Amino acid sequence: MEKDVEYILEANALYHVYESKAEDGNVVALRGLHVKVKPGEAVAVVGPSGSGKSTLLKSLGGLMKPSAGNVSLYGQNMTRLTGPELVELRQKTVSFIFQEGNLLPHLSALDNVAQPLRHQKVPAREAKRRAMELLKDLGMEHRAKGLPATLSGGEQQRVAIARALITKPKLILADEPTGALDPITSREVISIFEKLHHEDNVSFLIVTHNREVAEFADRALELRDGRFIAEHGTDMEITDLTAGRELIIDDIGTISLPPDALVKLGGAGKFIIEEIEQGRLVLTGEKVKVDSFSKKSKLADSCVACGHDYGESSDELCPQCGAVRIKV
Amino acid sequence: MSKRTDKFGDSISNLGIKLRDAPDNLRLAIIGAWRGRERGMAVFAGVFLASLVITTVLSYGVGLSQVFFEGSLETNVFDAKVEYKKAPKEGTDGWSNNTSVLLDICDELTLMEEFNDCTVIFGKKGLHSALNFGNEDIFKAMPLLMQEVNSSDELRNWNDEEIWDYEYTTGPPIADSRAITFLGPGAFDGVLADRLSEQIIYDMGEWVSAEEVESQRGVYIPSDIASEADAVVGDKLEFLTFNYFTDSDYIGEIEDDDCDGEIVYGSENGFMHCQHSMTVENLTILGVYEPWPQGNPTLSANPIYSTFHVLNETQRVTLIDNDHIFLGITLERSLLPTTSTDDAADWLEALGKEVNEKTYHDGEIELYYVDIISGTILFLNIFLGLIQAFDYIIMVPIVILSLSVLIYGLILSLEQRRREISIHRVIGATSSGLRGMVLLELAVIASIAWFIGYLLAMAAVPIVLSSVGFLQFKALGYTVNPAISFGATIFTALATLGLALLFGRSRARDFMELEIDEGVSRIQKVNKPKVWLHWTLLLVGSLGAIDTWMEMNGSEDGILTNWFVEGLINVFGPFMLWIGGALILGRVGASGPRMMQFFFRRTPILSDIKRGLKGSGSTESVSRLAVIMLLTLSIVTLAAVQGYTGTLVDERTADVTVGSDLQIITSETVNATEVESYIAEISGKDVSINAMHIPQISLIPEDGEALVAYVILDDSENILRWLPQAIPGDQISGALEGYKNGGFTAGADAAYKMDLWGSGRSGAGDSGDILLGVNSENTENKTFIWEDVQVEFVEDGPPVTPMSILEGYKGLMERNWSDLNLSNQNLSGRDLGKADFTNTDMSGANLQGANLSDSLFFNVNLTNTNLVGANLQNSIFVIMPDSLTMTNLSDSNLAGAYDATNVLNFNSIDSIQDAICPNGNDENGTACSDGFNPIPPPLALQFFAPSSNIQITSTPYNTTLRYIGTHEFIPGVATDLMESSVIIGESGYRALVGDETVDNISATTWFVSIPDVTGEDLKALRASIEADSRFESAMDWETKHEEVERNGGLIFGTPGLLSLQFIVASIAAVASAFVFLSLVLNQRQKELAVLQAIGASPNQIIRLVLFEILSIVMVSMALGVMLGMGLALSFNGLFNVFGFIFQLLGGTGGESSVITRELVWPWLELGIVALAVFTSVVMALLITTRKALRSDLASVLKGE
Repeated sequence: MEKDVEYILEANALYHVYESKAEDGNVVALRGLHVKVKPGEAVAVVGPSGSGKSTLLKSLGGLMKPSAGNVSLYGQNMTRLTGPELVELRQKTVSFIFQEGNLLPHLSALDNVAQPLRHQKVPAREAKRRAMELLKDLGMEHRAKGLPATLSGGEQQRVAIARALITKPKLILADEPTGALDPITSREVISIFEKLHHEDNVSFLIVTHNREVAEFADRALELRDGRFIAEHGTDMEITDLTAGRELIIDDIGTISLPPDALVKLGGAGKFIIEEIEQGRLVLTGEKVKVDSFSKKSKLADSCVACGHDYGESSDELCPQCGAVRIKV
Repeated sequence: MSKRTDKFGDSISNLGIKLRDAPDNLRLAIIGAWRGRERGMAVFAGVFLASLVITTVLSYGVGLSQVFFEGSLETNVFDAKVEYKKAPKEGTDGWSNNTSVLLDICDELTLMEEFNDCTVIFGKKGLHSALNFGNEDIFKAMPLLMQEVNSSDELRNWNDEEIWDYEYTTGPPIADSRAITFLGPGAFDGVLADRLSEQIIYDMGEWVSAEEVESQRGVYIPSDIASEADAVVGDKLEFLTFNYFTDSDYIGEIEDDDCDGEIVYGSENGFMHCQHSMTVENLTILGVYEPWPQGNPTLSANPIYSTFHVLNETQRVTLIDNDHIFLGITLERSLLPTTSTDDAADWLEALGKEVNEKTYHDGEIELYYVDIISGTILFLNIFLGLIQAFDYIIMVPIVILSLSVLIYGLILSLEQRRREISIHRVIGATSSGLRGMVLLELAVIASIAWFIGYLLAMAAVPIVLSSVGFLQFKALGYTVNPAISFGATIFTALATLGLALLFGRSRARDFMELEIDEGVSRIQKVNKPKVWLHWTLLLVGSLGAIDTWMEMNGSEDGILTNWFVEGLINVFGPFMLWIGGALILGRVGASGPRMMQFFFRRTPILSDIKRGLKGSGSTESVSRLAVIMLLTLSIVTLAAVQGYTGTLVDERTADVTVGSDLQIITSETVNATEVESYIAEISGKDVSINAMHIPQISLIPEDGEALVAYVILDDSENILRWLPQAIPGDQISGALEGYKNGGFTAGADAAYKMDLWGSGRSGAGDSGDILLGVNSENTENKTFIWEDVQVEFVEDGPPVTPMSILEGYKGLMERNWSDLNLSNQNLSGRDLGKADFTNTDMSGANLQGANLSDSLFFNVNLTNTNLVGANLQNSIFVIMPDSLTMTNLSDSNLAGAYDATNVLNFNSIDSIQDAICPNGNDENGTACSDGFNPIPPPLALQFFAPSSNIQITSTPYNTTLRYIGTHEFIPGVATDLMESSVIIGESGYRALVGDETVDNISATTWFVSIPDVTGEDLKALRASIEADSRFESAMDWETKHEEVERNGGLIFGTPGLLSLQFIVASIAAVASAFVFLSLVLNQRQKELAVLQAIGASPNQIIRLVLFEILSIVMVSMALGVMLGMGLALSFNGLFNVFGFIFQLLGGTGGESSVITRELVWPWLELGIVALAVFTSVVMALLITTRKALRSDLASVLKGE
């Protein structure tokens, strides 16, 4: 089912409301989101807790229906599909990776990896063969018989990745894929992602807090209170989103400033439009000091814990004290 | 069109994929079932229970029919009677009168694997057709009948004319005297010898070998004959004469000329026979056997047995020529199909056909096979149907229980899979695929559970069948193979496995839909429970319980007065009460923590954790736990209460029927010391024996009518088996003390007549089971008059004591109906021949068509009595002239009736139309011209001197007794007249009749207590007593008890089912507490982890959980026991009805089934079960809570 589509994932005006009987009433999780992912593109979604990231991911993956708006996956509008059709579409295009491995607790690693193929009615033998191959690729063949409970977090996540890859998806939706992992394992996972991204042209949409993961993406979307408020290029610094930030103005003319941008702007207040023309808007309130810096982070020169000098080595663990080498 | 083929093709390829993937899917399902066994336990438990219970009930039905069948076979010595195909007739083929030919045929038959023994028998004539209802040939198949025995021993009493009278109680009335059967040598070895020798009474000879019986010319007699003839083993019988029959036909068809023997008429069957006698000489009694219960009427029951070697060749030929010949066959019973009675009947039919179609002795002989076994099957089937219906009803609760465990288990188990199912959905599972997966795993668990339950049921059924009381088991004498048919097996699978999958399917679908929609809307559709329906069920159901309770506590008919409504409530009420009660009370149970909190809020147990308790108990799984606890414990209670009650009712029924260890009737009147010494002599052991009689006298209360009074002698407390139901109040010793101190009690009718408290005459306050004390306002003193009737004898001849004549004649009577109040009773058509009616009031009674021949009417009141068509032949009247006023004697037969007082005439009689007068003439007028017969009837003639008269004088004595309440019965005394009688104590009796009489009571009916002889010894002693000539008959407690166990208040095996119910429900209570708790706590693991994370100490958490769950469990358990008690009450109506039916059908004397089912509350057993449940709950709690406490906090909190 190879076909050329402009966007592998396209969501228009997504709204989602969680009904609640609590005093503060219903919770609006998504407020008119638009998102487009091209084939082979890796997009990161960043944002604080409660900004609606997980809801977005579920809606995009067809796991739940948003209250309004539509999602097209691989050129097919999911809101119009019947249950079985939707499942079939998902089976062939999209895989999920979560913070936890979310493995089936009663099945061995191998069976876990083979399970999606079973759901696609692939013969058991074939499914296992492919599962074993993938586990081998991910260096997990020695744990193929292990039950999830006996695997470490990183191993679980690798099994989960293998499970996500076995269907040869066009798009991987990942929700904090490294959230539960130590930095080194995280890097391993990211390198797997990078390999997939570059060699197999798999698209990614990754919800993350992790700078290194975000850096892996081609661009990052900043989600806040249910809407995207900014977009960043590849050279995004997650600790300071100001740089390279592209603010988004939506259809109805709302512009949401990220808090840091607002602080830099001088806080809430009255602004005068000084200049407005095609693609350019200048506001005047207070003088804004722009202090931009942009650089790709690199491994630190010395260990933060014991002060060991790494020198030219590319060690990721301090040979002296065993601490993780941070990136700066 | 093409679309359709596409679809078809799709489904084919789908099927292909399914088949291809089946092994792998099955492997995963098994792995899933095993690794997730904790959550599967609930499902497993439900299916297992359902399978166990349903299979048990079905298999029990099969086993029951086998046991009944084998039990009924026990009464058969011969399994088949094989005759010549056609009656022997000179010049026809197919038969031979050569005995050795017959012996050869016997050998030929035993070569067939179906037969294992055979003997040639001279006895009953051939039938040559099936023994069917309406087959008149049955009346022509005459047995050889006894006529006379001459023994040189003068001490023996063979000359009694009636010694050979015998009443055949089963089958059509063919003959009415004792049969004799001459057995071939085959009966003295092999299976036949085994069966026959079993009945020989211990120490009274033995069943000897064929050679010995031939050389000794042996005879075996039943114990009743031995008793009457006073015969013992070793007696020589010089002559034995019996009758054979040459011709039989309808009355009038045989002319005198055609019969060179004697013409006799059949009894009540319209046939006449030409009878010849035949005599054998020099026989020896080799044994006395205990008669069998009369069973199938193909052969004459309980005959005299002898060997055919006592017949000479001529005699044999004569008997064979007249068709008095057959072969007695035994079947290889192990070949008989025991799966069902129908199968057995089919098998027997085929066998009969096979025997009939063959020819024997080189084609010379043709045979006809008369099956004896299959005749019993029809009756069995009807009986079994009823029993099974009842058993199914009582097993309904436990079936419902297991199904509810199953459903709740399913729900819980699905909830535990919530996370797993979402993972599957994320990785691309379709909902139908997921459902298939869930169901496959369910199927794996359920099949294993079904199979284990099935196997266990098969093992349990023989035990259930061997039950003789609640939780009491006694080995069955038979091997039972209760394998159920293939169809029934499929049914058990469908009803358990199928149901599990069906419920699983719909539940899984709901669950899946819920999951998918969850994202869109968090509001779940909650099905509001139909509370009004639950309440209605509960309320209607309680009506039955309240009704029973009120009836138990003295109300006449409770709140339900319409019998139809009461019947409906009796059947359906218990179930409504149960379901409604469980659902309503379940809610109460679930709110247990809140209730307990109320009490413990301020104690140190709760003070620091009460915040943690907020809102607990509201979760669905907790209320399910409460409902399951309620259901199980109520069944435990129900089974225990009804089981113990049933067992006790059985015992009490035996108590009431026998009265003591033994109830015996002596041949002659004797006193207590004599009875005791006789029995001591027979038992041959040095044991304490106490005999007691219950005298009866006729008492007239001042200004009242005569009543029968029973006298409770002072030593009755140690001899009779009293029970509280019999006497007023609950204290037996108190009531007996009351009798000793000059008290009397009255039956309800008698109390009504005497206007005493307790008759219910003046409303609800006028009845009750209370012993009235001296100060009670309801007690009162009554003066009773006893008329001492003296008979004076006026005679011309030598002096004879008048009493000796009457006593002598009384001794010939076979029924003791003296001192009864039968006024206005309906006794029409009853056989009361040779009855002693001394002092009985029969005024206004309906005796139409009754047989009263040879009876003694001494001081009887016959005013207004309806004697139309009654047979009064040779009866003796010793009554006042005015006792015969307005009596209707039309159509009656008074031939030979004798008026001993010579005062009666026919003028006062209402009608004597068409009566046969005492002189034998049908005078068809208003009076009999000759009056009564001047000569005493033949039976009494021996006692009378010629031309003698009797005069009656009566002297009144009186005494005053204090009324102490109403009674129900005296153990051992027929209960039908107790309502209208009074019971007085020994002191009152002494005051009336004098010490002399009381100190020298002599009577024929005795109650004997032998505390040291029990069980089989008691049965053996009874058999020996029965065979002793000094005793007429005897009854022992053990035999009666066994009879009741099998056919009594609770039918055969029902105590077993109740025991099963008790055990299964107890286990279910313990197990479901364990399983459900661990699931519930699993769900709450996160909550506990949070509590721990925010600083609760493990101690606090354990206390929190313990308090919460224990209060739910405790409240539910208490409510469950209460519900069970209500259930037991409301089930009582049903048990009563079925108990009554079984007693009627069981033939153990429906009239004595007076024991009310007073419920027994077995608190000890219930306490043990409650304790076990409680312990398991605490254990489950501690284990799971500790597990929860030890688990990694972070991972629990982090997880979903």
